[in-house]
Amino acid sequence: MDEVYIEKLSAFGRMLRREGLAAAPRDTEDAARLLAGMDLSNRERVKTALKTVYASTREEQLIFDRVFDGFFLSEEAMRAQARDQLEREQQRARERQQAQEELDGMGNRVRLDSSERESYKELPEDARKKLREFLEKYKGNVDRSPHLYSEFIHSVFAKALLEQQMRMENAGTGVEERDPEMGLLYRDIGEFKDSEIPKAISMIQAVARQINGELSAHRRAGAHSGKLDFRRTIRRSLSTGGSLHDLRFRKKHPRRKRLVLLCDVSGSMMQFSEFALRFIQSLNQVAESSRTFLFSETVVEADAFQLQNMDRFRTTVRESGIYGRGTDLGTALERLCAFRPPILNGSTTLIILSDSKTVDTHRAVLALQEAKRLSGRVLWLNPIPERNWKYLKSTMAVSQVCPMIPCSTLKELADACRRLARN
Amino acid sequence: MTLEELRQKLDETQYVYDENMLTVLYVALTLGRPLLIEGAAGVGKTEVAKVMAAALDRELVRLQCYEGLDESKALYEWNYQKQLLTIQIHENDPDKQTLTKSLFSDEFLLERPLLKSIRSEKPVVLLIDEVDKADEEFEAFLLELLSEMQVTVPEIGTIRAKTVPFVVLTSNRARPLSEALRRRCAYLHIDYPDMDKELAILRKKLPNVDDRLRLQVALAVQKLRSAEEILKKPSIAETLDWAAALDALGIRELTPDAVRNTAGFVLKNNEDLLTLEDQEEEEPCGACREHSHG
Repeated sequence: MDEVYIEKLSAFGRMLRREGLAAAPRDTEDAARLLAGMDLSNRERVKTALKTVYASTREEQLIFDRVFDGFFLSEEAMRAQARDQLEREQQRARERQQAQEELDGMGNRVRLDSSERESYKELPEDARKKLREFLEKYKGNVDRSPHLYSEFIHSVFAKALLEQQMRMENAGTGVEERDPEMGLLYRDIGEFKDSEIPKAISMIQAVARQINGELSAHRRAGAHSGKLDFRRTIRRSLSTGGSLHDLRFRKKHPRRKRLVLLCDVSGSMMQFSEFALRFIQSLNQVAESSRTFLFSETVVEADAFQLQNMDRFRTTVRESGIYGRGTDLGTALERLCAFRPPILNGSTTLIILSDSKTVDTHRAVLALQEAKRLSGRVLWLNPIPERNWKYLKSTMAVSQVCPMIPCSTLKELADACRRLARN
Repeated sequence: MTLEELRQKLDETQYVYDENMLTVLYVALTLGRPLLIEGAAGVGKTEVAKVMAAALDRELVRLQCYEGLDESKALYEWNYQKQLLTIQIHENDPDKQTLTKSLFSDEFLLERPLLKSIRSEKPVVLLIDEVDKADEEFEAFLLELLSEMQVTVPEIGTIRAKTVPFVVLTSNRARPLSEALRRRCAYLHIDYPDMDKELAILRKKLPNVDDRLRLQVALAVQKLRSAEEILKKPSIAETLDWAAALDALGIRELTPDAVRNTAGFVLKNNEDLLTLEDQEEEEPCGACREHSHG
């Protein structure tokens, strides 16, 4: 095989590794061997053959397709891509030029440092227009008392620039949408459309089944207590004339955890809490018992019957009077700690499902520390993507007290449940 | 074997395949990699192994996995009864060392599917069915066999493969398989067939059934599979059973009555049957509607 092909394949392997596939040198060797005997003009066949070598799950196949289509372009696609790229660059240059002119026009009315000026040029036209209109609205005030208004105007600009930065970081995560079913696993739960919810629920059931299978296999593997089961060993030895060649051991009976779930059901958290609860409830291997509490400004207990389906869950939340209110984690945790007879003790695992946006963060942190002292373990499942935590002070504060697991997607939620069940 | 030769061999069987599957089978065969097939129950995963055995003219050796499967059921076991008898017969024999040695020879070795597949004089197709049902230790044990094509029997030593079997592993994803096992395999995911493929399967497997009925059955099954409310989606085997049952009853058109009377062949739980009844009341199935429009 030509040196150039091998170099290309090796670069392709590196690219697959960068995207998270374990493309081993042996795979590249196999791929080279395959291609040497194949008709390279049949693009689809080459793609399938390489996919068979490099991808070993359905998820990996989707990543492979994306990398392959980006790497091995047809001549026509390459030309079209170059043309699009040129057009995009020209358009971008025009927009940046326009943004620069706008900045020049603003003069000293807005104090932006060099990095903020650069971010401003990256803003889409509609966002820039909003800021221009805002500036126009306050034009007279700024001219009259620049000291009074400059800080305020700067804060509005800074907020818009920060939001833009967060949006760009989120867009870079590359949610997989080629396979709608798989895509649902990797999409932000808060962005599910109503029509996608039945599909998401059936996916939760499928993934929960898989985790249950995995956990029961894990338990079986570790079921050995190390103590000899003398009776079964003797019985077993009868088939071999009494020689004890096949030792039988007593089974280990692992104690399952007692879970206490504290779910934030204020406004935007409703959908996430519903999914997360459904997930945890369907994992029969996780806990021997669980109690669920719903909170916003106050806290109420929900029974298993109320959590059985989405409509019943929503009705429960609405009737409890906590729907549509703000979030006060401090109060919720204080009440939970004060319950008599006590809910939290050394054998309970407290799981908090919340985006950590709460009033009075300081009180919430103190209450969380108390809850942690009372419980065996505290885990926080946060639906906000981990990359955005750094922008939220309350998240940073509570994450210092207890382990926080990102759960913005069903995939992350499944991983969190695995972690919860295994440890 | 070239890709075209493999195509020719597969054409001789009754299996309906697509270009994707053909390429994957060719790759697994060429590289000598085990083939791991995943997909929902009843999409034809096990059938691939049977078809490859027929196409390659090899014997099919099957190992059905289940919880608690161990080496004694999968690889080998000593014939203890025979060993005890031999000891008793040679009780007075002075040469104990030779006797002991002979007890762990081929004569007392019971071959199980894995050992049989690598000690066979002619290469075979080894089907390790539903590997996800086996324990993790068994999976780890399979690694040596799949990567080195050899197994270690403590009393004998390492047994190398006389011939290399074509290995097919199937999984319903009841639990994820280890990364190490996956890495050693070529991977194929089989989805439920689309309309054209389903129809082609019906034509190939049930050539005597009326073409119009086949079309209606295929259409109805596609519709059932796409319905969110149906919990257990009908598999290909169930499609074939349904069409055969309709044909045996002399039904030539898939009318609502015919669907009601034979639904048990395609839907296998009560909730699904009730859902179908409800849907039929609201709106007759696609196939019937097409029929009524001519």
